[in-house]
Amino acid sequence: MAKSSQAILTVAGVDKTYDGATRPALDRISFSVEPGEFFSILGPSGSGKTTLLRMIAGFEQPDVGRILMDGDDITHVPPFRRDVRTVFQSYALFPHMSVLENVAYPLRMAGARKGERLAKARECLELVSMGDFAARLPHQLSGGQRQRVALARAIVCRPRILLLDEPLGALDLRLRQQMQHMLVSLQRELGIAFVYVTHDQGEALSMSDRVAVMSEGRIAQLGTPREIYFDPSSEFVAQFVGRSNLLPIECVSREGGITALLDGQPLSGITTPRTGPARMAIRFECVRLAAADEPANGACSVAGKVEDVLFLGNALEVNVRCGGLNIIAAVTSAGEGYPLGREVRVLFDASNATVFHG
Amino acid sequence: MADIASDMPMSAARPLRFRSFSPLGWPVYAWFIALVLVPNLLLIGASFLRTSNGLIVFDPSIASYVRLWKSSSFQFLLLKTLATSFGAAAIGCLIAYPMAYYAARVVRKNRSVIVLLVIIPLWISLLMRVFAWRMILGQNGVLNSFLMGSGMLDQPSEAFLYTGFSVLLTYTYISIPFCFVAIFTALEKIPHSLIEASQDSGASSWQTFRHVVWPLSRPSVAIGFSLAFLMTVGDYITPSMVGGIDGTMIGMVIASQFGIANNWPYGSAIAVCLMLSVGIVLALVMWAGQTKGVLMGDEGAKPAISRARLTPGRRLLRTLAAAAFVLPFLFLYAPLAIMVLMSFNDSSVQAFPLHGATLRWYAELAENASMLEAVRRSLVVGFAVVLVSSVAATGFAFAIHYGRVRQARFFEFALAIPVAIPGVVLGIVMVLATQLVQVPSGIFRTVIGQSSFVMPVILMIILARLRRLDGALLEASMDAGANHWQSFVHVLFPSIRGAVIGGALLGFTLSADDVMVTLFLSGTAPTLPIWVWNQMRFGFTPSVNAIFTLVGVGSLLAILVCNRLVFRGTSRAAGSS
Repeated sequence: MAKSSQAILTVAGVDKTYDGATRPALDRISFSVEPGEFFSILGPSGSGKTTLLRMIAGFEQPDVGRILMDGDDITHVPPFRRDVRTVFQSYALFPHMSVLENVAYPLRMAGARKGERLAKARECLELVSMGDFAARLPHQLSGGQRQRVALARAIVCRPRILLLDEPLGALDLRLRQQMQHMLVSLQRELGIAFVYVTHDQGEALSMSDRVAVMSEGRIAQLGTPREIYFDPSSEFVAQFVGRSNLLPIECVSREGGITALLDGQPLSGITTPRTGPARMAIRFECVRLAAADEPANGACSVAGKVEDVLFLGNALEVNVRCGGLNIIAAVTSAGEGYPLGREVRVLFDASNATVFHG
Repeated sequence: MADIASDMPMSAARPLRFRSFSPLGWPVYAWFIALVLVPNLLLIGASFLRTSNGLIVFDPSIASYVRLWKSSSFQFLLLKTLATSFGAAAIGCLIAYPMAYYAARVVRKNRSVIVLLVIIPLWISLLMRVFAWRMILGQNGVLNSFLMGSGMLDQPSEAFLYTGFSVLLTYTYISIPFCFVAIFTALEKIPHSLIEASQDSGASSWQTFRHVVWPLSRPSVAIGFSLAFLMTVGDYITPSMVGGIDGTMIGMVIASQFGIANNWPYGSAIAVCLMLSVGIVLALVMWAGQTKGVLMGDEGAKPAISRARLTPGRRLLRTLAAAAFVLPFLFLYAPLAIMVLMSFNDSSVQAFPLHGATLRWYAELAENASMLEAVRRSLVVGFAVVLVSSVAATGFAFAIHYGRVRQARFFEFALAIPVAIPGVVLGIVMVLATQLVQVPSGIFRTVIGQSSFVMPVILMIILARLRRLDGALLEASMDAGANHWQSFVHVLFPSIRGAVIGGALLGFTLSADDVMVTLFLSGTAPTLPIWVWNQMRFGFTPSVNAIFTLVGVGSLLAILVCNRLVFRGTSRAAGSS
């Protein structure tokens, strides 16, 4: 029995370039997944996350690097001998088999007796609340139901790793939220390590223990959702995760230190290592709005005029014109509104801002 | 029971429904009654008459059926015909399945070229292909020359030609392209993610094939099998050219009842029995081939991107697969190649070794007035058939697709019945129908008879394209202020033009190559294939090779143009979407 601290899955220095492609699809990817961990791979389309997932599943071979499971090298083990199951983006339910037969398929391939496999499959369908649909064919199910059948088929053998390839992409918002809760509780119950691929940062942040943000075949940042959200290590992460204002600033030497200037105005409290042009990321919800005459009280402050307002239900997104810049603030929708053209003061704390040089 | 049907990705966008009653539906009903219903009823009716002194007596009787019931030779012949066609279609599927699997799931580039290469022999005159086999199998044919040349035989063997085996071989040859096309389209449609899901579930390659690929392709194997079976079961050309006494098939008997024997009621009764037994066989095949479930098209059809490294065992398998893929091509093309070769051979004996090149046989053709007349007639018939059929098919396709026809499903199926009737039976059915309205045999009769099976083919092609069209196109056009007619002219017709032209060209080759139906209808005005057929009965000269080479090259050009048009149509559509 492996120690619980040992990584269940290790991807070590994996490179992959498709035939005829100029850019690598995966570029020196390394990470490990702990047993029972909910691990997300987050990235825009084309960032290589699906390739990575397919490699773990065994459908792709890395050019360089190894994939280890429980310390054993499985790089060249074919998919059907890996203790890894996949929930496909398209569900990939066998159209000619009933829901029950679909779920029982992996057990059948493992050579389980008919009675045993049907019982297990039924049990598993109950787990995803699809017990009443066992006799249906896939085309008689809705998208959310198919999703749950695909999930049941993947977990029926209790693999040690479950791979999920954007499984909620085709569902509507409400179903997606229901499924998120279900996935999290299922993962707790089964104790299977989940590797979850998505382009939706909300899904990744809400469910995961750790998130790897991918960009152009590389891991841009790997950390807990909190680290990723509040302490992005690059402009890309800041832009992709959450919603941020990315403001050009100028860092100049002044009075023995370096001061950041936003549109010519000094920003108090922002420290930067060097001078020159840079960009500052500040999340929408970290920006506050106040009356034009209110004092800054040590926060960074810029004067501006309301240009437009989006009503989002629980919040308002107020776009404020500040000289040559636009700053968006997400403020609570309760209370006063923001008529267009109103003079306001934009406030944010230096601790919430991240500066990127380069 | 639901079949695997995934070629309708737009099923959500239903076409506009009009009033259920529309005068636009009338031509469809009229065509059905005139060319499908009445002729077949006539056949059934005729089978209940009897003859006396060579004249038909209008006196209902089951004499013909009683005679058939008592005739053990008829029953043997029927069984032998069904068994031979069944065997040929089964062998054809066995050969075509690995080929199709290789083409659809292993080959990545130039798939359309491969498919075209398999289909081409299908579209080159049946007469030509059968004739080529006769040259290969004959006593001083290629096979015997080769075997004697290599010392395996001392004297030419008579075992190859004029036996049941030679018929089976030629039927198999005819079957392969039909089986291939049907199986290929099914295999190509199976989403790759299903295969991955199966592997992911722990299934080996064989288990994946057994539980996923095979069940999903089984309905199409049944379709390919049925097409091949239909093509050969009513064939009287192949048996009379390569079959001899041992290879006699029921089609020849039916044909002779309407020819030399001149006993129409008896011939009709045999035809009815043949149709019934064919119907039963096909129903059984379709039943055995069905698979429950529906491919929804959202399973993701992404092809394999990379492949696991090849172990030596796999490399061997791959080589075997490549061989199973390439060898049938040799089988398909060898007869055609030999025929072309012989047309340039300076000898009237059609055997190896060759005697040097000549164009003598081609020159001989140019001086042959009756042949040139037959060519002219073929062109006239072809154009008339294509004109009638494509205009009718376009109109019918719109009427059916846009709900102007009641019971559209039924009529779509019913109009296609002539395609599913064995050739020899369709021929006599059309003779009966045209006889009833006193159309004399000749060009006009031929045009009517050929249109009955050319129109449904064009109709199916146009309907398939219409169904793939975005249903919102018509709505968008009408939304922009165009009426039905304007929408047809500016939006709908341009988007199906490729299908219409492609269908018309295919229809032309079908018409120009047809022997089985035309032979009954043309009388003293033979089209080219009929003329050739008549010539061959009086022994043949190598100039027949020359005609067939020309016909082959001609059909090839027509097919290439047609493929080009259809292909360009689709690529343009793909480019704009």
